[in-house]
Amino acid sequence: MYRGEVKPIIPGFCRGEVTLVDGYISFFGEVSPDRGCLSTLENKCFNGKVLVFKGTRGSTVAPYVIYALRRNNTAPVCILVAEVEPMLIVGCVIAEIPLFVVKDYEGLVKNIHVINNSGYLEVRGSELLLYRRV
Amino acid sequence: MHLTREQEKMLQGEYGWATAKAMEIIIKVGEAMGAEELVEIVHAHISGISYSTIGKYGAEFIRDIVLRGGKVRVFTTVNPGCIDYSGLSHVIDNSLIEYQRLIDEPLREAGVKPVYTCIPYFYRAPLPGEHLAWGESSAVVFANSIYGGFTNREGGPVALAAALTGYTYKAGLQLLENRVGVIEVKVNARTLSMPIGALGLWMGECVKATPFIRGLRNTQLDYLKNMLASAAASGNHALVIVDGFTPRDTFRLELTERIEPEVEVLEDYLGDECTGSRVLGYLGCPHTSPWELLLITRFVKRYGKPKRGKLLVTIPAEFTRIYRDLVLELKAMGVDIASGTCPVVSQFKEKFDCVLTNSGKALFYLRRIHRVRVKLASVREIVKHLSGV
Repeated sequence: MYRGEVKPIIPGFCRGEVTLVDGYISFFGEVSPDRGCLSTLENKCFNGKVLVFKGTRGSTVAPYVIYALRRNNTAPVCILVAEVEPMLIVGCVIAEIPLFVVKDYEGLVKNIHVINNSGYLEVRGSELLLYRRV
Repeated sequence: MHLTREQEKMLQGEYGWATAKAMEIIIKVGEAMGAEELVEIVHAHISGISYSTIGKYGAEFIRDIVLRGGKVRVFTTVNPGCIDYSGLSHVIDNSLIEYQRLIDEPLREAGVKPVYTCIPYFYRAPLPGEHLAWGESSAVVFANSIYGGFTNREGGPVALAAALTGYTYKAGLQLLENRVGVIEVKVNARTLSMPIGALGLWMGECVKATPFIRGLRNTQLDYLKNMLASAAASGNHALVIVDGFTPRDTFRLELTERIEPEVEVLEDYLGDECTGSRVLGYLGCPHTSPWELLLITRFVKRYGKPKRGKLLVTIPAEFTRIYRDLVLELKAMGVDIASGTCPVVSQFKEKFDCVLTNSGKALFYLRRIHRVRVKLASVREIVKHLSGV
């Protein structure tokens, strides 16, 4: 089990299977809100999972795409990022998706790789817990 | 974040779901920007309402917010949509009219003044020191730099949230301590002889800190509007201190560097070589002022109808009514008029090889959005070129 620290931006329920996208995402253009998947990276899906990625590439349309994920029931349970910017915050507020900034992002990514990208992640207050899938 | 009792009530939902959501947006973004409190605004200007930019998801969000009780609490204006509201234009594609309505109707219901223009200061000029929450980069930079209003670039739904609550976060350019000119830019007479959009594009790209410009004291406001819009498009400028224009006590100076751009440098920003037979002349980015409209009419009268291509002029939605005589005169002389929109947020009906424009902002965006060649020229040169004089 790996323990880490997070800073809650939008606190809330955060527990589930982890999906890691080690890079920057542009929600407008790179995410399909109908399926809750990334259209670029090998069709990675985060529907109902804990989504971990580095940060967003700015487009002011991003908040609306995140809102569409909620409307289509394809939203992730919560989002963990290394860097946060206003448009991602706005999107998560209107879509009611908990948002956290990971203090040691590289450490978390390394540990997700160690457990072959298939683990459970949970946030309790400002503590992050990563379990191997049994 | 320190909140007043009223703000606290808004957040807790006593003013309805929409206001609570809007308050949460403002507070969360404010916290990320380092704000400790909120500030009351007098005017909100919402950008990002064109269907061709925000699509069905944006339309859904705006509709939901209004259906769940969203009403604006301050004077609120909106940016251009993706259709020509006058129906006069043959250049702008109006096929998205039914979809644009999905955005416009809820906005009107929420109490927004349907001006559909990127020059909201034409409807209500800000006073020095007034707090505003404006989207639309060109309007933001004009409000801060020329009127001395205080506003950040409120992208996406933040300006809408500010309109619904009447507050925005107190950080960035809302604070006098952050309105500091650092780099002095001296504009000489040779530079001024070039299309002023080029100066703006250069400034956006090459001057990263807040500029303080000297040498523009005798420049008309419409030229400054064009230059500031260009600087805000190619860079992130939200404040450019213009000597002789920016009101006293709305900025401070701590100059560390001095630059004097040469003509040779600005020539790189004049755009592409204009070849091909399908040429479009485009004026009105940002939307024309009444004076510019008059100027264009004079030039078209003097040099004749556009024969070697089309001439498109974009104006605020209400201008078709207020300046009907001018608009009809231009229309009769073969000029294409589109109101409440512009090619940056809409689609063309036909394909063009090259666009001639006086606006650096239009050059910056049309290249990227419509993938056409764009060249900068003065208003007179554009009208002359199209008339074949």
